Amino acid sequence: MGTEREGRARGGRLARRLRQAPRLALLVILALIFLAPVYWAVSTSLKPESDTVAMPPQWIPAHPTLENYRAVLNMPDANIWRWTFNSLFTATAYTVSYVGLSLFTAYPLARMHFKGRDAWFWFILFSMMIPGVMLLVPQYMMMIRFNWIDTYNALIWPGVPAVFGIFMLRQFFVTIPRDLEDAARIDGANSLQILRHVILPLSQPALVTLAVFSFMGSWNNYVWPLFVAHGNMLTLPVGITMFSSRYITAYGKLMAGTVIASLPVLVAFVFAQRFFVEGLTLTGLKE
Amino acid sequence: MNRSGSTRHEGGRRRGILAPFSEGSPLLPYLYLLPHAVLFTVFILYPIGFGIYVSVHRWDILASHQPFAGLEFYKRLFDPSTLQFQFFWRTMLNTALFVGLSVPLLVFGALSMAMLVNRPIFGRGFFRAVFFMPNILAVSVVGLLWRWILDNQAGLVNVILSDAGLPKVDFITQQPWAWVSILVSTLWWTIGFNMVIYLAALQGIPSNYYEAADLEGASGWAKFRYITWPMLSPTTLFVVVTTVLASFQLFGQPYVITGGGPSRTTESVLMYITEEAFTNYQFSSASAMATLFGLIMLLFTIFQFRTMARDIGTGGK
Repeated sequence: MGTEREGRARGGRLARRLRQAPRLALLVILALIFLAPVYWAVSTSLKPESDTVAMPPQWIPAHPTLENYRAVLNMPDANIWRWTFNSLFTATAYTVSYVGLSLFTAYPLARMHFKGRDAWFWFILFSMMIPGVMLLVPQYMMMIRFNWIDTYNALIWPGVPAVFGIFMLRQFFVTIPRDLEDAARIDGANSLQILRHVILPLSQPALVTLAVFSFMGSWNNYVWPLFVAHGNMLTLPVGITMFSSRYITAYGKLMAGTVIASLPVLVAFVFAQRFFVEGLTLTGLKE
Repeated sequence: MNRSGSTRHEGGRRRGILAPFSEGSPLLPYLYLLPHAVLFTVFILYPIGFGIYVSVHRWDILASHQPFAGLEFYKRLFDPSTLQFQFFWRTMLNTALFVGLSVPLLVFGALSMAMLVNRPIFGRGFFRAVFFMPNILAVSVVGLLWRWILDNQAGLVNVILSDAGLPKVDFITQQPWAWVSILVSTLWWTIGFNMVIYLAALQGIPSNYYEAADLEGASGWAKFRYITWPMLSPTTLFVVVTTVLASFQLFGQPYVITGGGPSRTTESVLMYITEEAFTNYQFSSASAMATLFGLIMLLFTIFQFRTMARDIGTGGK
């Protein structure tokens, strides 16, 4: 309670603040460098085309307008609404199938004893070593043979059996204490009920992390949709580079396109920002 | 769990196609694995074999018969008189150059940033979020953003340069600036990911190590050199290997920013393989390149795999 101690504590805090000042200044400069490109894109998208190249540069749009957005959303030969739907549908369908399949596959690999379990786990794990480039050409040729070029099937299915999700969930499931499962089993629960009532509630952070990362991975996927989808079947991030050739120097419209294509992931990030950064450590990637 | 009693009875009554699902059935685990095994076979195992098969045949998408070609398409990659040799190895060198330049920056830059935001400081969570944020953007968005900022004429950087009375720089169309553009956009895009992995590892170093060092009067550098750096070595190995692999797969940044130019100097090997396959329809040639490139990458993946295997050996986490 002594004022002397309080005074010393305050003085200590002040001294600490002062010692932190150089580090804080460095962080502020870095943060400005990281934010500037995003700010500049948004600012450019809100200017009339003639102002985008104005000298000196207008940090704040002098004549703010939504004209670029209107133009981009109403382009006759580039259906940005359809591309947005394609991206949303593909990313959602992919996430549900990928997380679901990973869940059902990781469960026996982590919680059951059967012949060949470890051999199979190692075998599918080995496939993670296969560089994606070796799959690209043959998978594309399969899409031709399946008649899947320019379909949602091509955008969704080839990535679903990826093994990373199984690996991550399996690593999480093995840490769940066996007593909980035994107690449920004594109560007469079958394996599906144990999955539903014991494993699932305890694995929520891992499942949500996996879902978030697979949604973003699918939304941002570039190489694969670039080659298997065209025209109306394009995904949004690929689509916006398609009209870059038409608007080669119309940067106001190009930036409006990039803002639209980033909005869903940016909104998700702002709301679940802690989760993104901390969730990464849950992926088992940390070491 | 309260309804489990009744379900047991139902489970007992069900027979027929659901029998393998009954508890204690030796087939049960395999049924869980089956759906993935089917998709895994179709979309991963089969394409690997198919890719190698295509690479040793002369594949013509329109022909009904695909004649055996042996190692012809692989030999071309080692015969300096062929176009494939020239382009494959040139783009391979381009890619290796990018790996060599980007990996040290992405590893040491990320470690420095992680240490900056590791200890408590005002706005720490905000800074972490800002540095990670570009990671969530699509590569096409990143590419268009930087192509605009580094535009030869009206780009923000050139406008600022000419405002300061300095000459403009052709970031997009002249070397070495084209590489600078690709490097800067890559750093901005991905460094936050490595930073977060390093942050998690820094948090795992017991604080009493540092307290003991403080008692000994160790300097900040000594603490880094003898505590932080050695404690982080498994993380560094992981970060280096994953970054090397990611950088080898360079595609979107040059594809969007430079188009592989000027005169193909920023064309990556992945860009060339896709061009050979999807523009020239030389599937056999492209498959041979992909297989060779894949084997080279495999050398690095084995390292990654060993670190993962150690993780599994200890039962995860």
